[in-house]
Amino acid sequence: MELNPVQHDALVELLNIGFGRAGASLSKLTQQRVLLDVPTVAIHPVTHLTQSLGKLVNDRVASVHQVFSGPVAGDALLILDPLAAATLTELLTDVPSLSEELDPSSREVFTEVGNILLNACIGTFGNMLGVPVSFSVPDVDVSEVHTVLDRMLDSGDAFRYALIVTAGFRLRSSAVTGYVVIVLTVQSLKRLLDAVDRWQQTQ
Amino acid sequence: MSHRILVVDDSGLARRRARGILESAGFEVIEAEDGMAALERYFVDKPAVVLLDLVMKGMYGLEVLTKLREMDPAAKVIVVSADVQTSSHELVAQGGAAGFLVKPVDANEVLTLVRATLGA
Repeated sequence: MELNPVQHDALVELLNIGFGRAGASLSKLTQQRVLLDVPTVAIHPVTHLTQSLGKLVNDRVASVHQVFSGPVAGDALLILDPLAAATLTELLTDVPSLSEELDPSSREVFTEVGNILLNACIGTFGNMLGVPVSFSVPDVDVSEVHTVLDRMLDSGDAFRYALIVTAGFRLRSSAVTGYVVIVLTVQSLKRLLDAVDRWQQTQ
Repeated sequence: MSHRILVVDDSGLARRRARGILESAGFEVIEAEDGMAALERYFVDKPAVVLLDLVMKGMYGLEVLTKLREMDPAAKVIVVSADVQTSSHELVAQGGAAGFLVKPVDANEVLTLVRATLGA
């Protein structure tokens, strides 16, 4: 399954808007200017996900995972380097985070940040495409990339695709860069692309 | 007399932020970290306004809103959620909430809506 150039352009535009919203939320939370990279989007079978993410992040990551359901259903994952996650929680609490493992208090803060960012991104996406989604309670994890992905992909069918969105964001005065990954079933991906086709025809 | 506000959220960070905003304006704050606890606290402590998260473990916020309004049709509930979707805002309005605030919230918008809700 591949994106045609029109779908690719439309998805990047939608992601730009969704990530703009997420960036504004992060800026409001941290009181810092947030720099957003232009999102890149690609579709890979989930079996290639570990390899694709390995080019972007170190082996060990901090992640927030949320399942979303509705006509387009899937998994959303926010991934940061553990040190970046600790820095992010420090920015919100003014309390030094002493460990890359994130103590319970830091995990709580990171979970809420992930919840806000993933909702801003995917919720905006859903709004614009007219595809409402419901979110699960977020889970936080600090482990190797392959462990995070194995846990996320464990429960579903194997014939899934990852819409890999490398939407990097950086806080101007802090070394915090993160990525969002969206994993969809084949059926959901098809519905999403149909919605994208309808949306771009109205633009 | 200071009004009592019930903050319902499974995130400790969100509860602390709401408490800080509300207490600085002179409100009394009580907390619940899930839907069941929220229903209990509502009927024991009789808060003037409830700030309610949507996505929580156990009972979802929409269900809590429905139960609160079934048991007390005059319950004043403001939903505070990261959910930016128009469809969610419509569901919350249909459920009888007095308002919807999108996280992250700022102090002014919280206080303005809480005061307006108290005056309604």
